[in-house]
Amino acid sequence: MSNLEIGIYSFPVLLALIFLRVPIGLAMFSVGFGGFYLVMGSARLPLAQLKDLSYSTFSNYSLSIVPMFLLMGYFATLGGMSQALFKAAESWLGHRKGGVAMAAIGACAGFGAICGSSLATAATMSRVALPELKSYGYKGGFSTATLAAGGTLGILIPPSVVLVIYAILTEQNIAKLFLAAFVPGILAAIGYMIAVSIYVRLNPGSAGVRERVPYAERLRALWNVWPVLLVFVAVVGGIYGGIFTPTEGAAVGALGTGIIAWVNGGLTLRTLADSFADTARSSAMIFFIVLGAAFYNLFLARTRVPQELSNWVVELGMAPVAVLAVILLIYLVLGCFMDSLSMILLTVPIFFPVIMAMDFGMSAEHVAIWFGILVLIVVEVGLITPPVGMNLFVINAMDPETPMIETYKAVVYYVVSDLLRVALLVAFPAITLFLL
Amino acid sequence: MTALHRFVMKVARAMALLGGAVLVTVIMITCLSIVGRALNATLHVLVDAGLMSAFAQGLIDAGLGAIPGSFELVEAAMAFCIFAFLPLCQITQGHAAVDLLAGALPRGMNRLLEVLIALLFAAVLVLIAVQLYAGFERKLGSGQTSLMLQFPIWWAYGASLFGAVMAAAAGVYVALVKLYELGTGRVVLADAIGADH
Repeated sequence: MSNLEIGIYSFPVLLALIFLRVPIGLAMFSVGFGGFYLVMGSARLPLAQLKDLSYSTFSNYSLSIVPMFLLMGYFATLGGMSQALFKAAESWLGHRKGGVAMAAIGACAGFGAICGSSLATAATMSRVALPELKSYGYKGGFSTATLAAGGTLGILIPPSVVLVIYAILTEQNIAKLFLAAFVPGILAAIGYMIAVSIYVRLNPGSAGVRERVPYAERLRALWNVWPVLLVFVAVVGGIYGGIFTPTEGAAVGALGTGIIAWVNGGLTLRTLADSFADTARSSAMIFFIVLGAAFYNLFLARTRVPQELSNWVVELGMAPVAVLAVILLIYLVLGCFMDSLSMILLTVPIFFPVIMAMDFGMSAEHVAIWFGILVLIVVEVGLITPPVGMNLFVINAMDPETPMIETYKAVVYYVVSDLLRVALLVAFPAITLFLL
Repeated sequence: MTALHRFVMKVARAMALLGGAVLVTVIMITCLSIVGRALNATLHVLVDAGLMSAFAQGLIDAGLGAIPGSFELVEAAMAFCIFAFLPLCQITQGHAAVDLLAGALPRGMNRLLEVLIALLFAAVLVLIAVQLYAGFERKLGSGQTSLMLQFPIWWAYGASLFGAVMAAAAGVYVALVKLYELGTGRVVLADAIGADH
């Protein structure tokens, strides 16, 4: 067997293992090791690599953002910021048709600005918003679907853990990627709100009516979200302004949200220990996948599969946009059953060279950033695509009275909104890139 | 068995808390360094403008500024944190996996798979720890130090090795528990996930 063949055959083996429920990081690690062994004819090289690989992966300066952002998200939850955000959004939007659902979307967007994870955003906001939605007569499936979709804003709107990983894999500038994600993130929130208003018009009786709130009260509610604004401006502004590195920004954000949570009385020894334990579990999971992917990609690079694949695609002579469309489609399908981070780590090393070999009429850096944002979005769509979108499960489980099928029916509106946005961003790269 | 399991959970949680404490320390050092850098820049402006320049220069000379090489500290500490985080993730089965086919396979098959996966995981974690030890020995022998802070790299490897050994132990423990569960039909690990929340 040639090296190239070993590389190609490693895919079905890897996928088979993953479908047999082997944890994704473990599967990549094992296939990488086995493949390395076959390519080199001995275990000496992979073993030698391993002397430093685990340490160097875990001590990567850029990756250290990840646990800090995770901790920041847990602190933000403890600080009651989800509550303040929802109250503010509700007082401004609540009286509209479907307004409380719009408020949930708006609050998710706000929480996404201080939290880098989709599931955490969805789960945190659900705790606050689900009871409110119910008390104003919003149908169960509509509510859960709204929060599942709103949660994806957590990862779109910077800071975003997945974007950090993409930046490291493709050696792109993290600050620029965050900046590029900003407008698509806002567009996503607006698109979801439009989806809400279409949904309530097509499904009369799915949402109750809420009284208008006087302006004085609205301004007071808005005033209460200043800690969120402060943290967001400090972190994101500081990173863009070049005042500090993304890692330093994450440290500032974690400390800031920690102080706010402490001042608000949410941070006790007990909750601090719990947020450490949660950070530990999520970080260990993420870093183990990163380690497995690093090992697998070392092996893959040796088999020259990525180069050969991109040469092959170039020789096909397909239109670059068609190639992009196929790749995005693959992500949509994969996203139905795999989590976003694993997907990025598994596929970007393979697809990225293909995309970079295409001529989109833009600079290489712009293509890389544009592709990153598109991948981020389609990967997130997977989280809310029936039947197995992860956000759907988590949120539906929080509302035992609502059957899964009701959530499926309502989430379709948000998925359509997502797909339209992807088409828009593919057609007009400037939407993503004009801020750079 | 449950007493043993409670003990193992406690140790894993203690490792996670230790890692969390280190993480917070790193966050604080990083923030201090930013403050120091900002003050240092302000002092330089004062010196250039001739305002309280002797006082400002004095503070600069006294070392008020960014913490030099703080990123080296971040890197070394973060490696330790992640290794320290692994045991809890292992014992609470926190690793990401795809559950698509789980329902389709017969129950016995699923249980057997779980044992095989746990054994593979244990083998990989032990391999990682053993190879990290080899890396540690090499750094110990070479006496290599970090660029800015000049601390011996083997310190960082040694701290990580402690976490890696604990992670390997956790991996072996989970594999043994899975074997025990397969043999006796009892469930030990499901409690772990419940206990975490």
